Amino acid sequence: MSTTTAVAGAPETGRPPTGPPPRATAARSRNRWAPWLFVAPNMLVFLVFTIWPAINGFNISFYDSRNGRTFTPVGTGNYTRILGDDEFWGVVRHTVVFVVAFVVVTMVLATALALLLNAQQRGRGVLRAAYFLPVLLSPVVVGLIWGWALERRVGLVNTITEAIGLGQPGWLIDPTLAMTCTVLVGVWTHLGFYALILLSGLQGIDGNVYEAARLDGSSTWQTIRLITLPLLRPTMLVVLILSTITGFQAFDFIYTLTGGGPTGSTTLIVQYIYEQAFESPIRYGLASAAGVILFVTIFGITLLNYLLGRRQEAV
Amino acid sequence: MTTATPTAPSTASPDNSGVRTPPSTGSIIRATLLVAGAIVMLIPVVWAVLSSFKDTSELAQRPPTILPQDPTFSNYTEALTSFSFLTYFKNSVVVTVAATALTLLINSMAAFALAKYNFRGRNALFLLTLATIMIPLQVILIPVYQVVANLGLVNSLWGLIIPPAATPTGVFLLRQYMLTIPDDLIEAARIDGASEWRIFWRIIMPLCRPALAVVAIFSIIWRWNDFLWPLIVAQDESVYTLPVALARFNGQQVVPFNLVLAMSVLTILPVVIIFLVLQRHILTGIAQTGLK
Repeated sequence: MSTTTAVAGAPETGRPPTGPPPRATAARSRNRWAPWLFVAPNMLVFLVFTIWPAINGFNISFYDSRNGRTFTPVGTGNYTRILGDDEFWGVVRHTVVFVVAFVVVTMVLATALALLLNAQQRGRGVLRAAYFLPVLLSPVVVGLIWGWALERRVGLVNTITEAIGLGQPGWLIDPTLAMTCTVLVGVWTHLGFYALILLSGLQGIDGNVYEAARLDGSSTWQTIRLITLPLLRPTMLVVLILSTITGFQAFDFIYTLTGGGPTGSTTLIVQYIYEQAFESPIRYGLASAAGVILFVTIFGITLLNYLLGRRQEAV
Repeated sequence: MTTATPTAPSTASPDNSGVRTPPSTGSIIRATLLVAGAIVMLIPVVWAVLSSFKDTSELAQRPPTILPQDPTFSNYTEALTSFSFLTYFKNSVVVTVAATALTLLINSMAAFALAKYNFRGRNALFLLTLATIMIPLQVILIPVYQVVANLGLVNSLWGLIIPPAATPTGVFLLRQYMLTIPDDLIEAARIDGASEWRIFWRIIMPLCRPALAVVAIFSIIWRWNDFLWPLIVAQDESVYTLPVALARFNGQQVVPFNLVLAMSVLTILPVVIIFLVLQRHILTGIAQTGLK
């Protein structure tokens, strides 16, 4: 992001030196307040609903509450309690498994899809739209539809597996299969989005390098591996960061797909925070400590991805 | 790329698609893979839409029918009459429209100040705005809820609308776009005695229409589908949005699935229509900005 690009031509200095009419001083003092008045509404909402809560989140994590109204200070009690809590570690394990699988499968499939779409001329627009459609659907509905398709006895998937002699696997009943399905439904939802970003990265690559490779007798696979993928690396880094953050935030579609089950095997960190804070028995302390831990994790991983990506680029 | 050669402009020819020389078998495999994948992407949705026109006995039939044998709207009429479906629908529309209008207004005002004024603290404010991209709602769920509860906004549509309205990405996108507008226009208007607000409203905003359209489309889709925040704030049935109502009913297991199915289709329908109409806008917007 070009956050440091200089702002082109400051209005004040662009004024002709011949001197504007006397009204100018009034205009200038008006101008001094104008930018603050313009940023005020947005910044107010920011401060009240993002920045203040982000600061206060740390504060709250040193208190406990059973009803969300009266708080008792517990020092670092929430952290020692949560780090000794088996349920929390289970949630952490599921979240890590989900995020790693989600990111790896997404990166591989989205890159493959972008390469295929980039090479495809006929019908590319329609195909791109088809892959993109799930991105726009309500995640709650995605969970409902897939939950129904994966239902053991009457589901669409098992109708097919039975017809071809594979029996009726309990997709959402077996913990391992349920996690696999959760990852795949997550990939199904987001694939088109990441493929689209990678596709625009591919289209930004200068066609001449392909021409040169072709003249040098490079095979299709060699060209992809030695030329396309290295040039695509900056875009892949963006997709890596975005998909990692998306993975850690996963909640909506899982809530209606598995509800976090069976026996908590697909309960990820956001659902854990939601349930501890808003479903009885309310355990505010654990929820806010988990919120801080998630915050630090996302922040740290994003920074790490970014720095590693930069260093690789420099080499 | 630094390897620009005099022939660079020719890359716009149909040959820029990467590797040429695909033997016809290769292109057949490629097309087959792409079409098969696209079918996997679409089947669950098509299946759900088709099934929403089947009656309960046909839905329970095994093996299932593909096309509805006796297409019926009964699931829809029953869903519309047995729940306050219209209330949820109305809530979703109000939240989506009001939130998008609010986001467009306050984001573009902030973007205007950050793009077109020189003032002390401008860069700090811009960096602060960008930094909040790193703070998704999920990680500050509890403190934000505390603020909303203290302001008495729980169970009010305002509580759904206002807190996520100051999107950092919208400010960023609009600011970048406004930087391309020449300052001479603003100067000329000032000399003509236009007020700062008038410059913003009558000159900058009309010129920003393409960027505003992108922000608006993303906001509409995001707000329509939004779930976690409404789930927390809308605790009373009278303020449920469609996704919240669907998830609650599904969780209770008492609502027959044919009705959930009809409500699901009605929930995704507006977004699918918007997508079909504005497809080009949405896809190029995302490709350029990496937002959704």
